[in-house]
Amino acid sequence: MADSIQSFVKFVSRKISKIKWQPSQKQTLECSDTFVTGSWDDEKNKICLWHLGMQESMERDEMDDALEPALKCEADHNGDVTGLEYVGSDVIVASSSTGSVALYKHHTSSQTMGIQYKWQCLHSHGNHLCPCTCLAVRDKTIVTAGEDGKMVVLSAEQKSPQRIIENADSSTINGLVFLRHTEVISVNSSGQLKTYDLRSSSDAPAQTLSVSGELTSLHSVDRHPGQPHIVATGSGDGVLGIWDLRQEKSPVSLLEAHNGPVWEVKFHKTNSDHLFTCSEDGAVWHWDSSLVGASHMVQTQITGTGAGSGGANFSVNPSFQFGGSETLNKWLSPDNSKMEINSLIDDNILPVNSVDIESQTLLCGTDSESIITIRLPSMR
Amino acid sequence: KLHFITAGRLFDDLMKEEQPESKTTYWDTIFRLVLQGQIEKACRLLSLHSARQTDDFQTLINLLKRMPQLSNVYKGSSVAEFDMKWRHWRDECQRNYEEQKFSINPNLETVVRILCGEDAVFSEVKDCCDPWYHMLISKALYQDPTVKACDLHYYIQGCQDAYRSTTRLGELDSILLSALESDVYQVIKDSRTVFSNGWFVAHLTDLLHHCGQLDSHRLQFGSDLQREFLLLEYAGSLMSHHSLWIVGVSYLDHCAEFGRKYLELYLDHIPLDSEKKANKILKICEDRNMTEQAKSICKVMGMRCIRNKRLGAALTWFLRSKDVGFATVLAEKYLLEYSESGEFTNLDLIDYLGPSMLLSNRLTFLGKYREFHKLYSEGEYHAAGDLLLALLQARLAPKQFWITLLIDALPLLEKTELIFSSQQTRELMKCLEELTTEYKLGKKRDGLGFTEARKDQLDVLKLALSRNLPKAILQEGTVNLL
Repeated sequence: MADSIQSFVKFVSRKISKIKWQPSQKQTLECSDTFVTGSWDDEKNKICLWHLGMQESMERDEMDDALEPALKCEADHNGDVTGLEYVGSDVIVASSSTGSVALYKHHTSSQTMGIQYKWQCLHSHGNHLCPCTCLAVRDKTIVTAGEDGKMVVLSAEQKSPQRIIENADSSTINGLVFLRHTEVISVNSSGQLKTYDLRSSSDAPAQTLSVSGELTSLHSVDRHPGQPHIVATGSGDGVLGIWDLRQEKSPVSLLEAHNGPVWEVKFHKTNSDHLFTCSEDGAVWHWDSSLVGASHMVQTQITGTGAGSGGANFSVNPSFQFGGSETLNKWLSPDNSKMEINSLIDDNILPVNSVDIESQTLLCGTDSESIITIRLPSMR
Repeated sequence: KLHFITAGRLFDDLMKEEQPESKTTYWDTIFRLVLQGQIEKACRLLSLHSARQTDDFQTLINLLKRMPQLSNVYKGSSVAEFDMKWRHWRDECQRNYEEQKFSINPNLETVVRILCGEDAVFSEVKDCCDPWYHMLISKALYQDPTVKACDLHYYIQGCQDAYRSTTRLGELDSILLSALESDVYQVIKDSRTVFSNGWFVAHLTDLLHHCGQLDSHRLQFGSDLQREFLLLEYAGSLMSHHSLWIVGVSYLDHCAEFGRKYLELYLDHIPLDSEKKANKILKICEDRNMTEQAKSICKVMGMRCIRNKRLGAALTWFLRSKDVGFATVLAEKYLLEYSESGEFTNLDLIDYLGPSMLLSNRLTFLGKYREFHKLYSEGEYHAAGDLLLALLQARLAPKQFWITLLIDALPLLEKTELIFSSQQTRELMKCLEELTTEYKLGKKRDGLGFTEARKDQLDVLKLALSRNLPKAILQEGTVNLL
């Protein structure tokens, strides 16, 4: 008995470029019910805070209403919203196509949102405005990158930038994500992944990886929640790439996915076997690797029959039983014939720009001026 | 019920009251409900009246309840049957009225007169069925419920006259008139001029076209062209909108004749504010095989990058559109930078070009030259030497760059171990000769020549080459003997 996927489309009369769940509070076990959206391509863009929740008196036939978001408050934003993240529980940082980055504080008591601080012209081409293309947040550190190839490290508590890496990249940087506490990985429009160590004094990337062959731009990147050496990227021709940063300079696998640039790639925060991608072709795909070759052993010292699925019976040295060799992560397994891929929205022709997943609810922000809330059945 | 919601609202308000009849809107609401044919609600309101048990009230409620409803004409009872039933009922209402049963309460009397379909009463209650088409429906309901659409115009004049003193006929009214007369073309024509937004007329025509309701030869251009023309008009207004252009694209896709041409023109006018937007528009072009537009977008973005001194980003745009000309221009810019500053910029891109460097000769040269530098820094002198010579021989290098290449050979020549064989040395000498003669000729013509520093460098080179030649011959000779 499979639960069906329930979804709800809410028209918000603005094209949504970014959508993000509020991170769930650590103290409670409840998952978040608030999310924030940023719009683009409008004369007046807005950052809006929405509430998605179950009301107390819920009847069976009102379940669909639980998927309809309600607007709590909004704030004006100058320029297109190109990056949106939470810093803490009430503060939102947004980057803009005018090259500035602003912190918005959500005042829960009055249900309003206002700018706490704004860094202007972080990215520029001399005197001209240059869009800031992406940002990444870890604790109170914010890293932004732009079309000028610059990377700026900010702190949410300081007025001036902590560090500016000029010429971090000679092409436009399209995506950023934190790998570890002081390590960031970026993807650019020449199809390269670069890792930067923010503590080192050198401005050069610590590691550069790319796909050999044609230069196709990479637009999005996300890292595996449990294992920071596994990274997934979305490229400009719709290919999902899985990379292992410890190994060679090329990706582990390239999966042909969409018909257009993959704007966002998101691993599920708690159930890392699940990955979501959204693209310009209007599709949102759910990649489920939970059934992929579960006990694939890497090392060759094992004597005995190969690993079968679940509970291999081979004669193993006792020393192997306790973490002597690692089981290969499902994403890195060379045999991915058991990967399940589901397309989550039908009948959508306009691009989906952003997705975010929290426990079982997936949010999508689209160019058809709508927010799509999808409740997924329980995932393995 | 959908358009005229006042009645419903008043009804809801009254139902909340304890004593609805005390409110001034009571009778007004009842009139409105009856005029709209909402009999059930009218009955409910009437039954709340304190005097409901009196005869006249009861009779009226009875009459109302017995009003025949044309619930479903396709199931069983035919139109004629309904007509007969209705006439019976109307006659009964008539009888009741004439028997003066309602003379006490003028309001009740008015209701009955409405039920009888008496003309005069409608003028009395015209405030309750404003505007004229409301009255039209109400009249038709009580005077001839089975009236055919084409006969409606008999009633129109009367209704309009009732309101002539208070309101003027607007443009919307004339469109409605045309619609009532089923004059489709007039409706389309007027809708175009009246409504500021082309949405209505475009969709209406589209729907009519798909139902086959548009008669081709009555239209100026034929039905599909007419539809297309209106769609193009509407799409045009969308394309100039700052964010709805993407919807306009979908509309243009459905215009078979001219949609593509229009789209090509419009796409050129959408401002490319950021790379992301440019990427989106590029995808639209690529999906529809509009290679010209795609190329021009890449060119615009590339030029912008060059102006902003972002040569690496510019190169990615030109590589994407496979623009040979501009790739060459960029490669020359890089080489110029190197020869001026002695250093390469944007190494992170150039070193990773891979097969894309084959797009343009200059670019290939640039890539290979970098490879030469890398080989040299890694200590692979023989391979570096071979590559350098290959670059010179293949004539991949522009003449201006030969000096630099030859000077680059100098450190290799000065190494203690032999890098260049005698054959290779002779080749190098040949190149040097060629270069110097060309410059000497050029000097005679244009007065250009080498700078002093360059001349010295070339002299050193000549010396090094002439020293290398005998060394090479010796070594090769020695090997042979052994």
